[in-house]
Amino acid sequence: MQTNTPELEVASGSNLVAAFRLAQRAPLILRRQGETISHPSVHSGKEPENYGVIEQLLFSCLQSGDDKSALLCTEQLAARFGVTDEKVTGLRGLYEEATAENRSTLEKCLQQYDLVLSENPINLPILKRRVALLRSLSRPADAISSLINLLDAVPTDAEAWCELADLYHSQGMSSQAAFCLEEALLIVPNAWNIHAFLGEILYSDALSSDAGDSFQLLEDSIHRFCRSIELCSDYLRGFYGLILVWHPIKVLDELTIFARERLNEIVKSRTSTHHLWKGNQSELIAAKEVLDGLDNSDL
Amino acid sequence: MALQGVEQTILRDPALFYWIVFPITIVMILTGILRHYATVLMNNPPKPASTLAESRERLGLIRGVNLRNNCHAVLSKESFEMRKNYLVSAYQSGAFLKDPGNRGQPPANPMTDPAGMEAMMGMMKGNMMMMIPQTLIMSWINAFFSGFVILKLPFPLTIRFKSMLQSGVMTRDLDVRWVSSLSWYFLNLFGLQSVFGFILGSDNAASHMAQQMASMNPAAGVNPFQPGQDPDKLYQSEVENLEVMEHFCILDGVEERVLRHYAGRKSY
Repeated sequence: MQTNTPELEVASGSNLVAAFRLAQRAPLILRRQGETISHPSVHSGKEPENYGVIEQLLFSCLQSGDDKSALLCTEQLAARFGVTDEKVTGLRGLYEEATAENRSTLEKCLQQYDLVLSENPINLPILKRRVALLRSLSRPADAISSLINLLDAVPTDAEAWCELADLYHSQGMSSQAAFCLEEALLIVPNAWNIHAFLGEILYSDALSSDAGDSFQLLEDSIHRFCRSIELCSDYLRGFYGLILVWHPIKVLDELTIFARERLNEIVKSRTSTHHLWKGNQSELIAAKEVLDGLDNSDL
Repeated sequence: MALQGVEQTILRDPALFYWIVFPITIVMILTGILRHYATVLMNNPPKPASTLAESRERLGLIRGVNLRNNCHAVLSKESFEMRKNYLVSAYQSGAFLKDPGNRGQPPANPMTDPAGMEAMMGMMKGNMMMMIPQTLIMSWINAFFSGFVILKLPFPLTIRFKSMLQSGVMTRDLDVRWVSSLSWYFLNLFGLQSVFGFILGSDNAASHMAQQMASMNPAAGVNPFQPGQDPDKLYQSEVENLEVMEHFCILDGVEERVLRHYAGRKSY
């Protein structure tokens, strides 16, 4: 089972390079999995892990355009868990959406989802797929209202709250987005990425509002970034946000100096261990830019 | 009490020891394993909510619990007050209830409600799984081994242990160090948890304690309500919990904390 470990490792990163590399190995993994299915007694202990790999593989294949392997993935999952299983129908829907060629096919997917939901109104994966589909059909208002319906019934789903926050944010409704992120944080209070995201939203809200509100919002935003740093001591976005927030206030104090030093260190160490951070290049580049900007303004 | 300072000796066949201690221990371990697999086989997972309203009724309560547990780490004073007022008024008006019309009426008899019936059956199955093997083994031991004194502990004990170690042997003068067969059964019954943990893994069904703990923790399961329980009553008690809460926010002074935390460490 040693060969499995790198696959899982690669699958956990959500970047395109890794996804592509994993997808290239898809036929091999699928064949091995197929053998496992025909001799279920051999690897039965590792079963949940293997199907987790298949699910990740499906995502990677869809991202890299290997639709044939993706179809095989959904078929294997359906063979194990049944066609009517909630998660399998959700993944199947994901595949249909990804391979849809034009808008009318997507509309057909939407009708399909409505049909499934009329049979089982609480099929969560399909409910979520429906929201995502509405969003990709660029009907954000519908997406928001159906997501609100979903959250009314399932108020303890942090993922859904984050998605709603993202939708609101894309529509420029920052205070609603902040509310949603706070709800998500009430469910997972130690998620430093959500803390930092909330900080980012407060920051962008502050930039667009008038001076009186703006100061309060910036202060809240600093609190959020600090909390995310407190929870994760080398979270790049947290430090980046701190530097960004202090920019409009134009007060250079201990905290900014500290954040700058720390960001410098992170950038240096991540540039030297380049291969490990391939997926987060964009963040690293942005951090470098903001640091260069600071250096120039000091001079 | 026997004569002080004199070692009590009982003449007994040493074969008794092997033919009682080992059978009882092995049978107990085997029943534990069997019970584990029988429970796994007969256990049906709790039914997920079938409608949106039902799901809201269940999770609405958990939302209040989440707010109570996590608000200090997340919310500022104003947003906490806002959420608290919203939840309190929603709980009080019964906005989360599956059918608000039934509010205040006595809960439906769980015997007539099919969902409640199923949950009751599940509980009963679990209890039966404990009871039946225990009764059988107890009567088996009583029939075959009752009254045997099987081993002598190598250390002295106080008189209080007599009822624990010598059940089934009604001899007042017997030294406490002697252990009877029935007591050996009881010791096995309560002492084999770690053995089961070793054989079956830590979350096995043979250890009945875990089952009891699980039923006491409401947030762990999908459904926080026991069958026949009135959700409205739980909402009202949650209202009380929320209303007495005192809010503080750990975001206050987080900057100083971060600086102090990292200041001492040069290589972060």
